[in-house]
Amino acid sequence: MSVIVFYVVAVVTVVGALGVVLDRNVVRATLSLLIAMLGVAGIFLVAFAEFLALAQILIYAGAVTIVILFAIMLTRTTDLNINLDNPQRPVAFLIAVGAFVLLTLTFVYSDVPQLEEPTNVAVTSAESNSTGFETVGDALFNQWAIPFEIASVILLVAMVGAIALARGDDQEALADAPGEASEGSA
Amino acid sequence: MDLELLHFQVLSAALFSIGLYGVLARRSAVLILVSIELLLNAVNVNLIGQAALIERPPDERVFGQVLAIFIITISAAEIGLAMAIVLRLFRNRGTANTDELDTMKW
Amino acid sequence: MEYAFLAPAIPAGAFVVILLFGRWLPGKGAYLSIGAIAASLVIFFIALADMNDNGPEVFSIDWFEAAGSTFTWGVSVSPISLTMVGIVSFVSLMIQVYSLKYMEGDDRFGWYFAVHSLFAAAMLALVLADNLLFLYVAWEGVGLGSYLLIGFWWERKSAAEAAKKAFITTRIGDVGLLIGIILLFRETGSFEMSAIFNAVEADQINKTALNWATFLIFLGAAGKSAQVPFHVWLPDAMEGPTPVSALIHAATMVAAGVFLIAVLFPIYEATPFVLDIIAGVGATTALGAAMVAIVMTDMKRILAYSTVSHLGFMMLALGAGAPGIAMLHLLAHAFAKAVLFLGAGSVNHGTQQTDVRMMGGLFRKMPITAMTFIIAAISLAGVPPLGGFFSKDEILRAVSEGRLNEAYLVIALVAVVASAIYTARIIYKVFFGEPSTIEKVVRGKTTRVRSEAHESPLAITGPIVLLAILGAITGAIAFEWGDFGGYIGWITQADAAHGIEFTIWLTVVSAVLAIGSMLVVVRMLKSYPGSIAALRARFPWAQRTLEQKFYFDEVYQWAIDRLILALAGLVGWFDRRVVNDEGIDGPAKATGWWANELRFLQTGLFYNYAAAMAIGAIVAGVVWWAQ
Repeated sequence: MSVIVFYVVAVVTVVGALGVVLDRNVVRATLSLLIAMLGVAGIFLVAFAEFLALAQILIYAGAVTIVILFAIMLTRTTDLNINLDNPQRPVAFLIAVGAFVLLTLTFVYSDVPQLEEPTNVAVTSAESNSTGFETVGDALFNQWAIPFEIASVILLVAMVGAIALARGDDQEALADAPGEASEGSA
Repeated sequence: MDLELLHFQVLSAALFSIGLYGVLARRSAVLILVSIELLLNAVNVNLIGQAALIERPPDERVFGQVLAIFIITISAAEIGLAMAIVLRLFRNRGTANTDELDTMKW
Repeated sequence: MEYAFLAPAIPAGAFVVILLFGRWLPGKGAYLSIGAIAASLVIFFIALADMNDNGPEVFSIDWFEAAGSTFTWGVSVSPISLTMVGIVSFVSLMIQVYSLKYMEGDDRFGWYFAVHSLFAAAMLALVLADNLLFLYVAWEGVGLGSYLLIGFWWERKSAAEAAKKAFITTRIGDVGLLIGIILLFRETGSFEMSAIFNAVEADQINKTALNWATFLIFLGAAGKSAQVPFHVWLPDAMEGPTPVSALIHAATMVAAGVFLIAVLFPIYEATPFVLDIIAGVGATTALGAAMVAIVMTDMKRILAYSTVSHLGFMMLALGAGAPGIAMLHLLAHAFAKAVLFLGAGSVNHGTQQTDVRMMGGLFRKMPITAMTFIIAAISLAGVPPLGGFFSKDEILRAVSEGRLNEAYLVIALVAVVASAIYTARIIYKVFFGEPSTIEKVVRGKTTRVRSEAHESPLAITGPIVLLAILGAITGAIAFEWGDFGGYIGWITQADAAHGIEFTIWLTVVSAVLAIGSMLVVVRMLKSYPGSIAALRARFPWAQRTLEQKFYFDEVYQWAIDRLILALAGLVGWFDRRVVNDEGIDGPAKATGWWANELRFLQTGLFYNYAAAMAIGAIVAGVVWWAQ
């Protein structure tokens, strides 16, 4: 049963991904990304990773997509129907196919001991009865606490950096306060 | 047939290849960044599949999900920063098309 | 005595010190140099006494190891090496004292003495060496000293050319020497002379190799000892200061070749064919050089050719199988020739001249110089009872009774006559007869005046007198005195040590020839001045050939111009075009060309780079896969 669900969701995801890379309309490509993200969230659900599915939808489908749309909006110069692909397409296609073949072969020939079916990481036993959320949270704050803290520092740094980069000179910021669609150099 | 790790992995490989194609074949800087997101998501799919299906005690298996969280976090940070750079680039050069940004050449 | 090595070491040290600190030393280092060589002389005496007590010995220390063998350097204290040590240190000392006055005021006074020390060190090392490798190193050092001193006044182009000529000519011989030494090493596995002698005696060495080795070593000796055809450098070497000519090109360095063959004589005894070659070369040289000396006009050149001729006599003695006799003549010649050259220097100092046609009647004005010169000259011409007479007589005896056939004796006797002729000529022309006149402008009028001359100071005449006395009495050591069995036997350590012997008829004949020729020549020059000119007119081609020194220089120059320079041009072309342009510039140009072509890889486009990275990653993955 879960196999069928998996296949369906997988197809959706792949279609979305293809849309990202093949569509000629920038905005439509972004919306395809949204679909792909949602598909990935679905995959996460099939694998009993509820927390992650949650995070995926919140962050990717929510924030990231908006960020991308904003970036598109701010970097437009001409009309929409220009060729979005660069002259390297055939080479890129070959490289992509090569990568796919290589990766698949690697996966096929790797012999990892597996469980029979997807299992929740939650520990269910007589003593403790936790959910997946709890396990993940437990791991994040106990065993992986330090990387967690570092990750939050990284977020802070990125945020500060992004602000510093995007703001530009003081003059520029003040002059562009209202509508920020400056073209060319300030 | 049962759901195996290989399913997740093949899907991951497919998403990765598509994302790779996008990085290499797209012209607009923004779309290249978008394709990078696809790459990261592909990795996450693989990791989650491993978390669910690998034969290890649960407290070790959870590492797959933990790592996926970290990856999401980092990618969010990265995309914010990257977009800032693209904006900067756009302001300086007037274009976000990578094939017009070729001054560091012969 | 194991301290014999100090004999070369002290002058070597003096060389270094003078080189570095000469400017601040008293006498610019001259006194240090003289002190060092005097020390070597003292060591000679000590070693001589020691050897009389303990017999000849060899001392060596390990030098380095290579290819499984250990190479040593050491000293071999033996009669023959000590003879040379004595000659070198004593004559060097005399000449350095002489140079104090003679080279006074020269700009490079200090450097002169430094090189003197260097030369003395090398020469002493050479004669004391116990193995051929060490000997070869010292041999080259001696050549270096000679080059530096011949070209001492290098501002004069002729001097620089002469130094170059000397070095290159002897170099050709040196190559032979090196190959010969290596051949011996290959056959016996050792450079040490004692080991080689043993191997030869035990008949262990391949005869062909031995013949080649001795012949090649003789080439080296012939080069240094100015035998035909290598003799061309010695007359030109007169460009150097006269004391240098006295030391190096009369008494010591040129004797190195004779010494080498004498000290290696046990090997030569086993190769009679090469001994024949040596005798032939020696005889030819003795006669040919003497003939050329008869017509030379420059005083030093006459003496130079005389040296060549006497070296030929020594080689002849060696070829006849008598190394002891050759060494005896070397001894007599060293002292006498030094006197002659120093005397020539004194004459030059007094008259500012070297052309014998411009001299005359100097006996009255420079008596000391004249007396010593005459004694030494007639000694070498073979007049009894002086030292040269005994050694020449012994040489003639060895040639007639030894292994050579009678033709050699005839040549030798003709050479004796020739040497008597040039000796008489030089003595008469310089010291007797009418003083020659030169044109001088006095108060606006051109007149002919007698050339001025005066005797030289003591610093110059002193050493000459000492050397002359020694030269005159060297004959004495050839005789038996009490326990001492005579020099010849002592040198060769033969069991039947014997003193000098006389073959009466030969002795008488040679003495008569020598004295008779001299008297004839003196008579001709004194009473019949026109007869010489008449002789010249009668045989113009003879005159020309002799004056042109048998055209050796011309032939060599042609060979150099046509053959060697052409070859050098070819090699130079190869070096320029092939090695430099292709080999060295080539890769550089290729790199530049590649860089020019490949720069277009830097497209500046991000996606190109990303693609390259991706391809690289995939290739890495495939490679990893293939493992």
